[in-house]
Amino acid sequence: MIWRFGLYDNTFDPLWMTDWAFAAVLLLPMVFGALGAVFRPSRLLPVALACLPILLAGGVMVLDYQQVGLLRWQWEVAGIELTLRLSGLSALMLLITQWTAAAVAVYTPGYLRLTLPNASVRWLWPLMGLLVSALSLIWLAADLLILYAALESMGLAAVGMLLLSGKSAALQAGMRYLLLALVGSLAFLLGVALLMSQWGTLDLIALEARVEPEPLTWVAAALIGAGLALKAALFPLHGWLTPVHENAWTPVSALHAALVIKASLYILMMLWGILLPETLFAPRLVAWLGMLAIVWGGLVAWRADSLKTLIASSTVGQLGYLMVAFPLVLGPNIAPLPLSLAWDGFWLHLMGHALAKAAMFMAAGNLIIATGESSLKALAGTSRRLPLSLLIFGMAAVTLMGLPPSAGFTAKWLLLQSMVLTQQWLAVAALLAGTLLTAAYVFRVFRYSFDETAPRHDYQPLAPGMDAVALCLAVAAFALGLLAHFPLGLLHGGGA
Amino acid sequence: MIASIDTVESGLAVCLLMTAIGCLFDRHLLRACWLLVLFALLMSAAWWYLNAPWLALVEVILGSALTGGGFIYVLRTLPSQRLSMPRYDRMRVEWPHRLTKGLLIIAWSIMLGVATQFLLPDMALSLTAHPLILSSVVIVSLGMGAFALHHHLMRRLMAFNVLGSGVFLMLAGMAGTSPSAQALITVGLLIAWLGSLLGVLLLRQLVHQEGSAALNDEYAPVRPPS
Repeated sequence: MIWRFGLYDNTFDPLWMTDWAFAAVLLLPMVFGALGAVFRPSRLLPVALACLPILLAGGVMVLDYQQVGLLRWQWEVAGIELTLRLSGLSALMLLITQWTAAAVAVYTPGYLRLTLPNASVRWLWPLMGLLVSALSLIWLAADLLILYAALESMGLAAVGMLLLSGKSAALQAGMRYLLLALVGSLAFLLGVALLMSQWGTLDLIALEARVEPEPLTWVAAALIGAGLALKAALFPLHGWLTPVHENAWTPVSALHAALVIKASLYILMMLWGILLPETLFAPRLVAWLGMLAIVWGGLVAWRADSLKTLIASSTVGQLGYLMVAFPLVLGPNIAPLPLSLAWDGFWLHLMGHALAKAAMFMAAGNLIIATGESSLKALAGTSRRLPLSLLIFGMAAVTLMGLPPSAGFTAKWLLLQSMVLTQQWLAVAALLAGTLLTAAYVFRVFRYSFDETAPRHDYQPLAPGMDAVALCLAVAAFALGLLAHFPLGLLHGGGA
Repeated sequence: MIASIDTVESGLAVCLLMTAIGCLFDRHLLRACWLLVLFALLMSAAWWYLNAPWLALVEVILGSALTGGGFIYVLRTLPSQRLSMPRYDRMRVEWPHRLTKGLLIIAWSIMLGVATQFLLPDMALSLTAHPLILSSVVIVSLGMGAFALHHHLMRRLMAFNVLGSGVFLMLAGMAGTSPSAQALITVGLLIAWLGSLLGVLLLRQLVHQEGSAALNDEYAPVRPPS
């Protein structure tokens, strides 16, 4: 299981070009973020130009991975070993992170111009840069020290970004998120401390070799799991998510829902894969909670009055699908075929959701800017006046519902196949119910938007590129489903 | 076993515990802030005692100077007369709330003690021989309880800081003060400082905008009798 995360020794040294690309991937976002604070770009072009070298560096790394296979970097500083590695999965997550973040960055200048925000806007760019750097570091990290540092810097950057809108409600929600995140980080640290005291290492490969199933490992796994579940808004701990998204700026919500939450989930999957291989109870518990999450998130989204509440609650439900896949990937006695199917489905769903959710937040942000209101009722009549924004919302919703030909469909198909093979009928039922609920809340939005009787005429025109960027993301979610062989090839460690 | 206990270490542990209790349960916020600074200085002495001079330095800079300084700075700039949440925490805590949180503290202490004693028979610094580590267990549960008990956000942030220090000390007790453990604690201190800083700045903004230093749904502000 753990080789899938690229946690094994390899023989190849990275090429010199990869080293430079690696440095660029980690440092350039922060450098450009700092520059953004100074120059405060108000046009699309400079932002796009700044994104270009980062995307190129990411592309170089992925190409190198395809040629050479697993890449590893290791340093020893003052007796502390630091390890990073680029596996197929990390390469894929890196690509998704960079492209989604680039789309969000390109979307941002237009959004800021239209919403005329307060003075705190200058903090947005450096925080976004820090967030992207920290995320990239999380995908690459192969020891607990780097993982902890990256996770916490990502969390703090995310809190900072969510506060920027400056509304009282945003501050309240942000404060609650901050307190929870800080306590979650201490739980994570305590778990790491337990592991370190017992097995004497922070390196994940060494840990995997030494760790044994015993009460201490379970306590550590529980502490780490609790801390990460809090940060990932997994079902019973999701209360902070909706208020936070409701009051944040659209690009920030998009980044947060698409990437930040997923990073905690990635770490959880990786660490539990090391600490609890072939365990029955813990992944099963997560799966039960996941089934509840699917139903609960769907119901709340169905009853929601405002567009952003709807999207945030739908995130809770969609994370439920990922939680349901836990026992298929981590559980005992899973045959190779269902395990492999569930593994593919898990990551494909995670990536498809990242792209679609970012697109959906942007489309919703466009609708909210254009109508000037955030409630569902204000959408009346938008089908005639804002067909493109609504179309993008619909395309993103197709991925969330899991209709063909989207990534959501392919992912759910894989998960469903794995569940049928392992005869988990309850999970199958939850998956199907979730699809129906998703359709219900999405069509509720469309019912309001096709209301022709509404007498509204004054729509705020959108800045150029705002719809186009969202459209690109929604199309990318489709493409991920149609051209799934490329990501799946990377996931299987292929290419070398 | 008793004979092996060092008087210096016991004294340090008792002082840490007293300052922590003072900092967590003093309603006079400025005094509590100074107690937090003192607590951080004592922590730094503890690190020195545990042969981690590098950590002692980091603790003095980050823990006492920057975090404590940040708290005191924000507290001094908080408007004191006009608004309902001045430098003195007058928020009432109901008895059922207190009772549940008190039980929580006791349960946490016992759980942590049992867990560390039975799960980790070969801790780097054992509980029974090292009062510092024993005190860290108590500090962690007190911090956790205070964090859950208080409504005033500044007190909750202070409780988080005390809780964090307790966790770091426990970490040192479990894993010793090897370079990687020290690195882990340094990162933790850095994160705690940044988090507290963000928290107090946010709190100041909240007080300016809403005149309340508590989360809305947790505490309905009652005007103090004037």
